[in-house]
Amino acid sequence: MTDSRFVCARLEDALRDDEPGLLEAAREHALGCPECRAALAAWDATSALGPLLRRSWPSPELEPRIRRALLKQSNAKRRLVAPGWTYALLAASVLLALGLLIQLRGTRSPQAPIDEAERQLLTERAMAAVERSEADYIGSIDRLAKLAEPIIERSSSPLMANYREKLEILDAAIAECRAQIERNRFNAHLRHELLSVYQEKQRTLEKLMQEKS
Amino acid sequence: MKSVAMNLLGNTADAEDAVQEAFLKLFRSLPTFKGESLLSTWLYRILVNTCYDIGRRRQRRGVEAALDDDSKAWEIRAPQGDASLRVTLERTVADLPEPQRSVFVLFEVEGFKHREIAQILEIPEGTSKHALFVAKRALQERLLAAREERA
Repeated sequence: MTDSRFVCARLEDALRDDEPGLLEAAREHALGCPECRAALAAWDATSALGPLLRRSWPSPELEPRIRRALLKQSNAKRRLVAPGWTYALLAASVLLALGLLIQLRGTRSPQAPIDEAERQLLTERAMAAVERSEADYIGSIDRLAKLAEPIIERSSSPLMANYREKLEILDAAIAECRAQIERNRFNAHLRHELLSVYQEKQRTLEKLMQEKS
Repeated sequence: MKSVAMNLLGNTADAEDAVQEAFLKLFRSLPTFKGESLLSTWLYRILVNTCYDIGRRRQRRGVEAALDDDSKAWEIRAPQGDASLRVTLERTVADLPEPQRSVFVLFEVEGFKHREIAQILEIPEGTSKHALFVAKRALQERLLAAREERA
């Protein structure tokens, strides 16, 4: 590498292959070689132009637009839900639909007259059942997350870093969903969405545990 | 992300559409993510492919890349540097063929490493290095020619 002609001839290779050792040698050699110095200077000058093309502009509408589009997409995509929740959600939906139907028709079922207070109670009960099932399901995922926590923290492997990053994104999505549900407890779309994110978290945690074993 | 999309598409509206589309695609395909690369790298891969798709759709419709006009474009660019140089640079980069243009944008503008670029563009690392070399040589020549023209 100390042979000057050798380094001159290999300058192109050094630039093309971007090999640190070779480039270092080329730079050292360029100190005493005007031709290579000029070539390297031109090369570096081109690199220095790159940041001129870095763009940034304010777009306050973009994030809310993406959120809306994501919500719309997830609402359109009816995913399969976990059995425990499915039945609870189904029950809630049927009761809610029933309640709505009764309200719309303004009639009462002849066999089982349901008054407004009863209907409210039934709806509340169904919702409470959904929330209990949710809480059980979430509790089991949280326990799984607790088991996975030390594995993620201890490991410095890129794979675990990926899992950590994915779990962070999922947790952020869960927090967002929960915040929206708090504003509207009876929104079944949001509950579907929250469930699908939890399911994804569950799958991710299971995969992570499998990787560990 | 907006910066990458802007450099690949040439205008802010298309760039923002590409970013939005990339997020939607990411969430649709999250279950298929195997953790072979960083999630962020994966997101950039989706973004670049989305930009290519938008570019192709534009080509099919026979629409020219709607470059932002100078007055608006300058507001969104880095304030430093010579304006005419930046225009020349921008046009020269826009004229580069793929994958040279994407590699140049990702490496020199956005600061990605060849290993990451290889994952984003789904090309071998050696191809990324070679594409950057060819792109920079082409830029050197065109910028030199432009300078001589101005002189």
